Amino acid sequence: MSTAKLPSEPRRSASATDAVERLAVIVDAAERAASSVIDDAEEQARRHLKEAQVRADRIVAERLRSLADELDPPAADGRPAPRLKPVESGPEPAEEPALPRRTGSAGMRLLATQMAVSGSSRKEIETRLRSGFEIEDTSAILDAILGPEE
Amino acid sequence: MNLAELQALERRYLIQTYRRSPVEFVRGEGALLWDSGGREYLDFLAGISVCSVGHCNPAVVEAVREQSGRLMHVSNLFYTGPMARLAERLSESSLGGRVFLSNSGAEANECAIKIARKHAHRRGIEAPEIVSFEGDFHGRTYGALAATPALAVNPDLGPMLPGFLSVPLNDAAALRDAVGERTAAVLVEPIQGESGVHPVTDEALLAAREACDAAGSLLILDEIQTGIGRTGSLWAYEQTPVRPDLLTSAKALGGGLPVGACVTSAEAGEVLEPGDHASTFGGGAVVAAAALAVLKIVDDSSLLRRVRELGAELRDGLLALDGVVEVRGRGLMLGVGLEEGIDSATVCGDLLERGLVVNAPEPRTLRLLPPLTVDSAQIERAVALIGGSLLSYAAR
Repeated sequence: MSTAKLPSEPRRSASATDAVERLAVIVDAAERAASSVIDDAEEQARRHLKEAQVRADRIVAERLRSLADELDPPAADGRPAPRLKPVESGPEPAEEPALPRRTGSAGMRLLATQMAVSGSSRKEIETRLRSGFEIEDTSAILDAILGPEE
Repeated sequence: MNLAELQALERRYLIQTYRRSPVEFVRGEGALLWDSGGREYLDFLAGISVCSVGHCNPAVVEAVREQSGRLMHVSNLFYTGPMARLAERLSESSLGGRVFLSNSGAEANECAIKIARKHAHRRGIEAPEIVSFEGDFHGRTYGALAATPALAVNPDLGPMLPGFLSVPLNDAAALRDAVGERTAAVLVEPIQGESGVHPVTDEALLAAREACDAAGSLLILDEIQTGIGRTGSLWAYEQTPVRPDLLTSAKALGGGLPVGACVTSAEAGEVLEPGDHASTFGGGAVVAAAALAVLKIVDDSSLLRRVRELGAELRDGLLALDGVVEVRGRGLMLGVGLEEGIDSATVCGDLLERGLVVNAPEPRTLRLLPPLTVDSAQIERAVALIGGSLLSYAAR
C-alpha cells in the first residue's frame, strides 16, 4: 500500500502544482486586468481634471482680459479712450514718458495681465511694472486686474 | 579607459568642433554630477539649460522607460498619442495655435523662419526679410545661422541665406527703422543667452511688437533658453509687455532628450501645409513622453514661484561678492558681470576644479543656469564657491 501510494504522491503533487500555476496565471491576469481598469480610470480622471483646469484657466484669462479692457479700452481709431477723467487742476507731467502713451499703456496692461495669469503676486507685478516702465503709481492697473487690495 | 585615453579617442574620431573641459561625467542626480573618478560637482549649467528638472529626474526617466518599452518610433506618416498631447499642452499653455515638433532649437527656428517667409509671400512680398538683434543666437543650421549675426559673418561658411538683417540690441529706433514693407518677421530672444545673458528691454520689445503690427509681419520670440520655467514663468514672454505670434522652444523641453517646438498663434498656425515642412524624428513618441513629463513638473505655479524666489536669492548673494559688478537676467537665468581685469574663462576653469559647473559666454561674464529644482543650500554653496574663486583670482 505504501508502495502503491508512493507513485501517486508525486502525481498529486504535480497536479496540485499545475493547479497552483494555473491559479497564479489566472490571478496574475486578473490583477493585470484590474490594474489596467484602475489605470484607465485614473487616466480618465486626470484628463477630466486637466480639462476642467484648462477651462478654468481660460475663464480666468478671459475675465482678466475683459477687466484690462474695461480699464483701458481701445478706441475705434486705434488710440486709447481716456481711461480716467483728467484732473484739470493737476500738475502737468515734468517730461514726456519714454514710450508712446498708447504703446506704454497697452504694454503695461498686457504685462500685468500675463504675469497675473502666470501666477505672479501683486508685489511681483508691481515691482516689474516699476522697473520696466518707471511709473510710481501702479495701483490703478493692479486694482483693475487683480481687484482692490484688501 | 582613463580621461587621457578618452581625450585621445575623441580627438581621433570626433570632428573637432568643440573645446571641452577636461572632465568626464558619468552620473547625474538633481543638481549634482559625478566624474569618472567619483568626484561630486554642483551643476549650475544643467547641460546649458537642458536638465532643468534636474539630472535623471525620476518622473522623466519613468516616462521614457514606459514609452520606450511600448513604442519608440513609427514616423510622422501615422498618429501617435504623446505627440498630439504634447502639442496640445504647448499650445494651451501659450499662444493657442498649432505646433510643429522638431529635434532641436535650431530646427524649431527653421520652422518659424519658413512660416514667416510663407506668410510674407502670401502678403505679396517677393524678397522677405527677417530682423534680429545683434548678439542674438538662434542656432547653427543655415536659416538660424543667418539670423545669428555674430556667426553669420564667417566667410568660410558662406554664402549665407539672404534676407536677414540685424540692429543693435535694445535700439528701439533702429528696430523701427529696419522693419518695413519687406519685413516677414522680427526674430529675437527675450533674453539673449549665448551672448552672455542680456535682457531685451520692454521698450525694445514694444517697438518690435508695434513695428510688426504696423507692417503686418510676425513677431517671433526664441524661447529656446528662456522657456520652460527658466525665468520663473513657463514662458519668458509672460513677464514682458508683448505676446508673440510664434515662439520656439527646445533645450529644457525634453528634460535631456532632443526635442524642439515651434508654437504658433491661431493665424500663424494656418500658414504651412503638407509638403512645406517635415521631420523624420520630430514628435517621436519617446521624446514627446519625456516632454510631457517635464511640462507636468514645470508648469506648476509653486515651482515657478520658487524659481523666482531662488533667483532672487542667487542674485542677492552674487551681488554681495567682491569682483561682481552686476547680475543680469531673470529667475534662474543669470549672467554675472565681473570687474574689469577678471577673465571669466579662468574663473570658470577654477570653479570646475572647485566642483562647480558654470560657463563663460563672454570674457567678463559667468552664466548660471542651475536646474530649477535646485535648493537654497545649493544656491549658498554655489555663491560661496564663486566668492572663493574670485578672492583667489584677486590674490594672484
